[in-house]
Amino acid sequence: MAALVPRPSGDFRTSYIADKAIFPSRNSAIICVLGILVLMAAPPFLSPYQLSLGIYIGIYAIAALGLNILTGFSGQISLGHSAFFGLGAFGSTYLSNRHGMPVPLSIFCSGLIATFIGLFVGIPAARIKGIYLAIATLASQFLLEDFFSRASWFTGGAAGAFAKPYSIFGYQLSGDRLYSYVVLIHLIVLFLFATNVLRSRTGRALVAIRDHYLSAEIMGINLTGYRVLAFGISTFYAGVAGALMAHFTGFVSAESINILLSIQFFAMIIIGGLGSVMGSILGAIFIVLLPETLEFVVHAFRATGWPVVAQIGSSLDFIKEASIGLVIILFLIVEPRGLAHRWQYIKAYWKLYPFAH
Amino acid sequence: MTTKTVGIALVASLAFAGTVQAQELFVGILNDNTGPTALVGAEMAAAKQDTLDWINANGGINGKKIQYEAVDYAYKAPAAIAAYKKWMSRGVPPIAVLGYGTADTEALSNFINQDKVIYLSHSFSAKLTDPAGKSGAVERPTPYNFFHGPSYSDGCRAVVTWAMEDWKSKGNKGKPKFAFTGDNHPFANSPRAACLKHAEEIGFEIVPAIQYSMRPGDFKAQCITLRETGAEYTYLGNTGDSNVAMLRSCASVGVKTRFMTNIYGYSEIEMKAAGDAANGVVIPLHIKWWNADVSGAKLLHKISKGVQRSTFYTASVCSVMYLKEAMEWADKNGGITAENVRKGMYQKKDWVPAGLEGLCAPATWTAEDHRNVTQISVSEGIINGDKYSWRVLREVNIGREARWWGQ
Repeated sequence: MAALVPRPSGDFRTSYIADKAIFPSRNSAIICVLGILVLMAAPPFLSPYQLSLGIYIGIYAIAALGLNILTGFSGQISLGHSAFFGLGAFGSTYLSNRHGMPVPLSIFCSGLIATFIGLFVGIPAARIKGIYLAIATLASQFLLEDFFSRASWFTGGAAGAFAKPYSIFGYQLSGDRLYSYVVLIHLIVLFLFATNVLRSRTGRALVAIRDHYLSAEIMGINLTGYRVLAFGISTFYAGVAGALMAHFTGFVSAESINILLSIQFFAMIIIGGLGSVMGSILGAIFIVLLPETLEFVVHAFRATGWPVVAQIGSSLDFIKEASIGLVIILFLIVEPRGLAHRWQYIKAYWKLYPFAH
Repeated sequence: MTTKTVGIALVASLAFAGTVQAQELFVGILNDNTGPTALVGAEMAAAKQDTLDWINANGGINGKKIQYEAVDYAYKAPAAIAAYKKWMSRGVPPIAVLGYGTADTEALSNFINQDKVIYLSHSFSAKLTDPAGKSGAVERPTPYNFFHGPSYSDGCRAVVTWAMEDWKSKGNKGKPKFAFTGDNHPFANSPRAACLKHAEEIGFEIVPAIQYSMRPGDFKAQCITLRETGAEYTYLGNTGDSNVAMLRSCASVGVKTRFMTNIYGYSEIEMKAAGDAANGVVIPLHIKWWNADVSGAKLLHKISKGVQRSTFYTASVCSVMYLKEAMEWADKNGGITAENVRKGMYQKKDWVPAGLEGLCAPATWTAEDHRNVTQISVSEGIINGDKYSWRVLREVNIGREARWWGQ
């Protein structure tokens, strides 16, 4: 799995073909295909609640993967990811509503719109890096947020915009059940694409720039070109994810596109594992399910009717919100290298069972 | 270990969703107790819960108890959707959702139309007043969205109407200046165009808009600009904390203007927080306050168990009590389904829930028009030391003008 998870030391390849393989072994390929088949078969048996969480995970995983390509693989920080997510959401709504473009196509085109703007925003990346780049991308976040509020022709302004349901060849794929397939297919295609890009010349160039940009430049890698390209790929993913979200909820408002969402995407890749394709999914799962789990815990606690519940009262909600932060901090202390790394440990545990790692 | 523990908790949470027991009459509640609008949200959260508890303790809906589940979604749309989907996955889905603000109302507008669930919230967007698409001003009809009160636009029109009369009654000549201030944010922008148009039509001179953030900060720069425009009347488009910061900043730089704001921009809580700086702010009220001299106040005190509450609380109590009566009608006319409850909302004209006379403005919903309250009490808050009271300046009847519908 060339780029799916960071490889531990000692795990080396002796041929280019082995190095570029998508799956490290036949078993992992089988497990991956089986996993996809299980996901394909699952929707009829799941409740709308479970499906909607699944859809969220899928959509956020796509956006997180985009950010991971930029931050985890090419070492550039972006705090404006949600603005491109919003650009995709509004873009697809605009194209399908105003120009009658079929939704599957408008999702793709909105990704391209986001890419176009993303390439533009990426230009400063040629000159600045690190924390300065973070501030530059933060500026793009605020600029786009303001644009969303003002550009009524594009976003509907204060009233927001209604997005059409997803339909293909006259069949409407709306509702949680059918839409979960739409998201799943996008997820698979985009993850395959990312994996392939990352094991190619482009991917190696990005990693080289991340690890030591000076050496990379001396090797003949065009720093500016690849840095801007990373922005382009990253914003394409954000755009497509935003468009998928728009056609899921059926409504897009400028209010939901804010800096907090950008930070959430950031949290996903840090928790999932920087520089790991697999980690992007794991991070999205974590960030989506953590508040739900805590909500469940709080609900169960309230249902007990213990006297302490009445004493705590509505402060329980604050405790819940604070716990989300606390769990994330604890998690980063226990597992600073992300869920992808933990996942490797778990795999090793079973592989070596009953011997310890 | 972390992964395992979290994993087990997740499996448990997912399993739970599928096994919720079937309830007869279920209502979901979305609150913002911890998010950016918690100042308003916490009062409303308490009101919704207190009112449902009171209903259940006093015979329920013709003897049927309302089961409810409140979720703090912290003003995050995805959390609202997740909570809604969780309720829709129950054995018996909710008849109604008691929503909160713009974020959840908008995020769920599509789903509730598909699932046919009553959505009673506190988002007063004019876009939610057209259930049958007859206004020609909305992109999509919203047959299941209800709120009690004038739309944000109508509220702003009412205070502006009062302002013009106030100007004339003082014997002033010429065109008074009007400033619309607020963040470039969907909430603040909602009444902007409608209100400015109305102000211009009735003879105001509009001065350039001033932007101040929804997040409270130091707004002295904005206040100095406001002072320089010479605006006699200023509308604050934001809510809670942000308005408090604006009022305080403007008091410190000595702005002489009459502040007006929206229903969520001012209450006893803001009066307390801003002190004298918030004296005399004018708002469009469709409800009365805690110690108002009306018969309905008695029931309000019972519902809140004697705890003194703000106008936000009253507003929320009123809207839940409307739903209660619509449910009672539905129960007697074919059973409590969302469709029947919706019909229940249309049964009476200019009605006030029993027991709340004088407290909630009379409302009329019809199958074609959800503009419900037309009688608006333009009122000002009066701060006297640590005493907070209200005075009605004028009752404005905003009517149901066709050209204003949905805008």
